[in-house]
Amino acid sequence: MKLNPLTIRKIRRFKSIKRGYFSFLLFVMMLTVSLFAELLVNNRALVVHYEGHYYFPTYGHMLPGTTFGLAYDYETNYRELSARFERENKGNRVWLPPVPYNPYETDLKTDAYPPFAPSIAEKHYLGTDAVGRDILARLVYGFRIAIAFSLLLLVTNYTIGVSIGSAMGFWGGKFDLIFQRIIEIWSNVPFLYVIIIISSIVVPSFLMLVLIMAIFGWISITWTMRTVTYKERSREYVLAARALGASNFRIIFKHIIPNTIAIIVTFAPFSVSGGIVALTSLDYLGFGLPPPTPSWGELLRQGWTNLDAWWISGSVIAAMVITLMIVTFIGEAVREAFDPKLHTTYE
Amino acid sequence: MNKKSPSEPLLSVEHLKMHFPVLGGIFRHQVGKVYAVDDVSLTISRGETVGLVGESGCGKTTVGRSILQLYQPTAGRVTFEGKDLTRLSRKEMRDLRRDMQMIFQDPFESLNSRHTIGNIVEEPFVIHGIGTADERQQKVKELLRRVGLSARARTRFPHEFSGGQRQRVGIARALALNPKLIICDEPVSALDVSIQSQILNLLLDLQQEMGLAYLFIAHDLAVVKHISDRIAVMYLGKIMEYADADTLYAHPAHPYTSALISAIPVPDPTCRRKAEILSGDVPSPIHPPSGCVFHTRCPYAVDQCKETIPELAAVAGGAGDNHQVACIRTGELRL
Repeated sequence: MKLNPLTIRKIRRFKSIKRGYFSFLLFVMMLTVSLFAELLVNNRALVVHYEGHYYFPTYGHMLPGTTFGLAYDYETNYRELSARFERENKGNRVWLPPVPYNPYETDLKTDAYPPFAPSIAEKHYLGTDAVGRDILARLVYGFRIAIAFSLLLLVTNYTIGVSIGSAMGFWGGKFDLIFQRIIEIWSNVPFLYVIIIISSIVVPSFLMLVLIMAIFGWISITWTMRTVTYKERSREYVLAARALGASNFRIIFKHIIPNTIAIIVTFAPFSVSGGIVALTSLDYLGFGLPPPTPSWGELLRQGWTNLDAWWISGSVIAAMVITLMIVTFIGEAVREAFDPKLHTTYE
Repeated sequence: MNKKSPSEPLLSVEHLKMHFPVLGGIFRHQVGKVYAVDDVSLTISRGETVGLVGESGCGKTTVGRSILQLYQPTAGRVTFEGKDLTRLSRKEMRDLRRDMQMIFQDPFESLNSRHTIGNIVEEPFVIHGIGTADERQQKVKELLRRVGLSARARTRFPHEFSGGQRQRVGIARALALNPKLIICDEPVSALDVSIQSQILNLLLDLQQEMGLAYLFIAHDLAVVKHISDRIAVMYLGKIMEYADADTLYAHPAHPYTSALISAIPVPDPTCRRKAEILSGDVPSPIHPPSGCVFHTRCPYAVDQCKETIPELAAVAGGAGDNHQVACIRTGELRL
């Protein structure tokens, strides 16, 4: 594959916009970290050295307590195991992840009620929420879900939007007219009410929520694609292809869509941030993913009801601001780098 | 298909009309028509060049595009080697496209900026499923050499080339399938004057080598004179005068032609001529003038010109069918 030198120039320009480029690197890092979150934030140990054997419990089946000479059959509590090995001092060892909690477990104390304030000694670096779950763990896993959600939503929306939009722009006429009216009617349906109604009948699963959001989310990219295709269609290179006998299929996929990629790419980051905000606000209202799924919206609601536990709202708001800012910076830089106005040359 | 007499023209256009609808209102119904091409007839023989000149917006590009069936003509027939193109099925038309190609005005617009030169010139072979990948590459190299580009150009992109070089790529693409007719839609008007003659000479050389026929569309009479055997002068969708190139220059029979000729700059500062400057603008093709469409700007117009639509007819005392003009005052005028 040979990259078009124009594309290379755009990428170089993107790299030269420092704010956007560093945001991009940071975003990729966050994405990678969240993909391997099990290694960093988990109640399963990374490595257990027990009587000459090494165990790697992170991925794979759960190891019952009996494996390590404990008296129970359920999953080993590695934090206790670690403390126990240290007491026994027989050469056995447990290496725990930096945050030894998973987002679902409650870490309760006998003499106090959660939420507990941040404590480095207990390794609750951002404290716990109102039911005693580690906030950092919930933030990291919640980020993973939110990003997966908005990326999946992006792909779904763009697939529908690009197909319908380019078909509208390319064929025009009655097809275009009918779809324009359908979209106008459709975009007047109050989207939030529909979701509230659906969520009150069934508890939406992750995929179902993506689908419900996509039912309304495809519209804006469809409009954009329609306009762009309309413009591209009447350009001479399309006529040239047609004069050569190219099929409509070939014209759309080989000629028109490659010329609209810049616009699709420019819109993508803003759609991602839109997806994150949408999921968070649905979760906040309680119409999103079912509990106990780790979610920023749900944390936000807890922060609102437990305002004196400042660490809840503080950390989730900080996380949101940082993430949305990074994604927006990327989007701005992409837009600047891909701005077609800078690339048109007149002779 | 059946009989093919040697005198049969390669392409004949009969009473071609191309009216575009003007849409309006809530339901986008037709509220008017643009008479882009209104009753145009012309013929092109093998190996011949017919020039088509006229001001911007007179419909000459539309004629070219409707011949290639890029637009569906409203009425009229386009016959290529005895086959009526307006009645062909999609597949038959696709096969026929190998015989007729087009060169576009703007060499930047007509090449897809996302494809390499190699891909662009190879595309005709890919579309018509000709040859293996290696054979196609070989042909692309040959074609590029033929239009005066190096084979290295294949891996580069259109924006890396100058206007003249890009136009050569456009020509190579048009030549790829060995066509019999090429419609040149103002192929040099976007180029520098020094490059114009290079491209024109390339087109003439290729015509001699390959026996191509050209429909050469331009707004510049000087360019058309250099290349054409016969010339048709268009105004507002109609042909005003149709004659051999030399006859047209020496004895223009239509006031419009004579005005166009007098507007050609003469490279001699001492030469003083009576310039016939046309006043006013070209009227809107949505509401063309009644009678002769040229009467609003014609210095010789009389009242009858507003009523009678002049037919294209042989000039009395002229070169017979080879000199036709659409003017009711043909005999009377001294141009």
